[in-house]
Amino acid sequence: MAWEKRKRGGRYYTRSRRSPKDGRVLREYVGTGPLAEIVAEEDRTKRELEEAEREREKAELERLEALIAPVLELSEAAEILAHAHLIAAGYHRHKGEYRRARGER
Amino acid sequence: MLEANAKAKLGHTPGALELSEETRDRLAELHALSKKAEAGDRDARKELRRLVRASSPEVIGRASDIGRRAGQTLARTAAGGDPLTEEALYAKLDAMRAEIAGEDPTPLEVLLTERVVSLWMLTTLLETLLATQYRRNVHDGPKRSSPSYILQQSRILDGATRRYLAAIRELARVRKLEATAPPVQVNTQVNVLGG
Repeated sequence: MAWEKRKRGGRYYTRSRRSPKDGRVLREYVGTGPLAEIVAEEDRTKRELEEAEREREKAELERLEALIAPVLELSEAAEILAHAHLIAAGYHRHKGEYRRARGER
Repeated sequence: MLEANAKAKLGHTPGALELSEETRDRLAELHALSKKAEAGDRDARKELRRLVRASSPEVIGRASDIGRRAGQTLARTAAGGDPLTEEALYAKLDAMRAEIAGEDPTPLEVLLTERVVSLWMLTTLLETLLATQYRRNVHDGPKRSSPSYILQQSRILDGATRRYLAAIRELARVRKLEATAPPVQVNTQVNVLGG
C-alpha cells in the first residue's frame, strides 16, 4: 500500500498484492482525493489489526511451548533412564529392538 | 563425563518445573555410558550398572515429581479456571496412574507411567485447543486464526501424539524385558497416588 507522487502534482493511492495465479505482484490503482484517504486509513487499520493478531498468536504459541516443555523434558529423561536400565541389564539395541547381549549375565 | 548433546537433547526449561542441573548431568552421564556399553565397552557396562544402582533412584524420583507437577499444570490450564473440571482432571490423572502402573510397580515403571499420563494430558489439552480454533474459524468469521497459527498448533499436537504412543510402547517393552532380565536393584520410593 503506497501513495504515488504524480508529475502533475497530487498523490495517488495504490495497493500491491500477489496474483493468486502466478504469484506476480499486481499493483491496483485505487484513487486520489478524500475517498482514497479513507481507503488508505481503512487499509492501515486492517494492517494494524492483522499485526496485533499475529503478535497475539505468537505470544500464545510461546505460552504453549513453555507449558509443554516440562513434559517433553520428563519424556526425554524417561527415555534415557529406560534405555540405561535395559543396557545395564544386559540388553543391546538391534534395528530398534532390544536383544539380550551374548555373554552378559 | 558430561555429554553436551545429551544435555542439549534434554533442553532447558526455565522456571520451577525443570530438572536440576545435577539431575541433567547424571542423565547425560547415563546416556553417554549407555552408548559406550552398547558399542561393546564392557567397563562402561559395569560402570553403567553401578551408576544405575547409585544414581537412578534419585533421578527417577525427581523426574517423576516433575512429570506429576507438569501434568497438574496442564490439567489446571485445560480446566480454564473451573475448579470442578480441575478436580475431575486431577482425579482422572490419579486413576490413570493407578491403572497403568498396576500393583507394586518398579520405580522405572512409575516414571514411565508418569510420562504416559502427562503426555495423555498434553495431547488432550492440545486437541481441545485446536478444536477451539477450528470452531472459532467456522463461526466467528473475521476473528479467525491464521492458517500458519493453526498449522503450528497441529505440528505441536502431532509431536505430542507421537511421543504419547512411543511412551506407551516403551512402558510395554520395559515391562516385557524386565520380566525376563536379571534385576538391576533400585531402591526408591515414589508415591503413586500422592497429590
